[in-house]
Amino acid sequence: MAAGDKPSATERALQDARDSLDEGFFPLEFFHDEDLHDLEMERIIGQSWVFIGHESEIPEPGDYARRYIGDDTFIFVRDESGEVNLLFDSCRHRGAQVCRAEQGNTSHFRCPYHGWTYKNDGEAAGIPQKSKAFKNLDRSEYGLAHVPRLESYEGLVFASLAEEGPSLDEWLGDFKWYFDVHMKLPEGGMEVIGEPHRWVIDANWKTIADNFNGDSYHTAWAHGSVLDLELGGEETVGHAGTGDSLDRHIHCDGHTTSMRGFEGEDVFLTYPDEVVEDLFTREGLSDAQWQLARQALSFTGAIFPNFGFLHFGDTTDDPEKDVAPFFTIRKWRPLGPDQMELWSWGLAPKNAPEEFKQRMYKMYTANFGPTGNFEQDDVPIWKGITDSASGQFASSQNLQLNYQMGLEWMSEMDIDEEWLGPGFAYSENLEEGGMRLFHEQWYEMLAGNDRTDATGTPINLQEDR
Amino acid sequence: MLAERESQLEALLVEREVEQFLYEEAELLDNRELHEWFDHVADDVNYRMPRRLMRENTSSVFSEQGYYFNEDYGSLKARVERFDSEYAWAERPPTRTRRYVTNVRVTRETEDLTEDELFVESNLLVYLSRGDSDEHTFYSARREDVLRRRGDTFEIADREIRLDQTVLSTDNVSIFL
Ligand code: FES
Ligand SMILES: [Fe+2]
Repeated sequence: MAAGDKPSATERALQDARDSLDEGFFPLEFFHDEDLHDLEMERIIGQSWVFIGHESEIPEPGDYARRYIGDDTFIFVRDESGEVNLLFDSCRHRGAQVCRAEQGNTSHFRCPYHGWTYKNDGEAAGIPQKSKAFKNLDRSEYGLAHVPRLESYEGLVFASLAEEGPSLDEWLGDFKWYFDVHMKLPEGGMEVIGEPHRWVIDANWKTIADNFNGDSYHTAWAHGSVLDLELGGEETVGHAGTGDSLDRHIHCDGHTTSMRGFEGEDVFLTYPDEVVEDLFTREGLSDAQWQLARQALSFTGAIFPNFGFLHFGDTTDDPEKDVAPFFTIRKWRPLGPDQMELWSWGLAPKNAPEEFKQRMYKMYTANFGPTGNFEQDDVPIWKGITDSASGQFASSQNLQLNYQMGLEWMSEMDIDEEWLGPGFAYSENLEEGGMRLFHEQWYEMLAGNDRTDATGTPINLQEDR
Repeated sequence: MLAERESQLEALLVEREVEQFLYEEAELLDNRELHEWFDHVADDVNYRMPRRLMRENTSSVFSEQGYYFNEDYGSLKARVERFDSEYAWAERPPTRTRRYVTNVRVTRETEDLTEDELFVESNLLVYLSRGDSDEHTFYSARREDVLRRRGDTFEIADREIRLDQTVLSTDNVSIFL
């Protein structure tokens, strides 16, 4: 908050939020607040690394896709030299948008207004009547604006609107150790199948962030229909804290992942033996990472602030058919205090047999995406939370939501001292620390601090971090 | 001359039968009589809703790989039966829908059709309303069906739903189109 300015109601409320968070509370009203939305866009979306897309979506020179960071429209494009660019979609003459389609291939973007033309690396290539009309204009200064920072990790491209700050590598930190397990497990890596699903829903973006940051508690109840029909096994969908499985909630450098697995068993997310034998490789993975992959049945996770993923085994689209895994990544793009656009991609190992890739994509749509048997039931719930937060009552009564599960006075909750990966792991999944971690980082960034100032979880109690 | 009139009349009757079938199907779906609807699904069905793409030079492109639905009999049945569960929250309470089926055309020229199969194109507008709010939305689509005669009715052997939206404007797709 700028010194000297009178703090707004939102800013005063935010100051109280810090105290709430220490108690494991979070005010309901923050799931629907106009002023907060503007602050979130400026201080969180505007200052973070935001997911743009996977390089496999634009494999050839000239391939492009329209992508968004908050309210800004960009062109995600591979230029003639094979470099990936993120160009602000606004003509340098008078600001018109130069990209017409959602996706395509082109060597040039031509402005519909007066015909300025740009190469697919953003450089201004043509200005009609230049020698007469703009004779002193230096074309090299009038290319499409590039996003300040663009970086890629294992084919996943992230961008930042902030000129400075941590690099993507620093932002992801040791969490890469976990994501490597997904991206490097099959020889040749993972690729995106088809085009992302997109849908607009009337819910605040923090509701889904909460969900992906370790809400193991909701699965058996909200997705009871999947369990009823035996479309997913008890260990994939079942109640948190009751399984025979190895259930861990892991926090690492501000990001989270939850896993279920079986100690000492070869599970490999239920990938079929042929894929495991022919494609899975220890190359690029440490012994511990390999062991994690080997024992894993499912992973859920989130990269702060608006990227989520699910890598699930033991699911099917038909109780009569064999189970198969799916892998999906997603992005929640805030559009307003009560609206977001969901983006969701299905992935598969690049070098897997075509038939298996299609099976994986089918598993993805059967379970997640707008028609998914899991996802259908989640979204309307998030909408309801946003509705409850929108009126007078939430703020006049100062209603606080309870995120206390797993705090020391609520239950016995251990940290797994033997945990094989970086960060730390709660030794069971009946806890809500990942959500507290999310909200604390949210608070710190909104307050203009560094997100690594987030406290209240063991993350900052560990030495040498 | 008379023969020609007769075959025209015959075509008209077929068209009328097909229309009646699509209207009745719409009614079953609007009433959420999903099992009764599913009785009209052939056991070799292919039920697809590809993702519509937005491209610069053409208005009607659909993804080759990306889809919302790509169902066979078993997976479609599972989707139907899931709604019997008391935990299928998306449809508790059920979405109120009203389907408007128009522009129905029957063509027989398509290859791979057997004697008793008809290729049918139609437009579909679905009004959706949820909960106790005044909000509502629509799906608009074109459908391409292969209907197969079964006794005095038809079964759906193949359906492709070509939605007009690129970005969906609903929480989810928890109905059948
Ligand atoms: S606005 Fe693009 S050429 Fe004028
Ligand atoms: Fe869920």
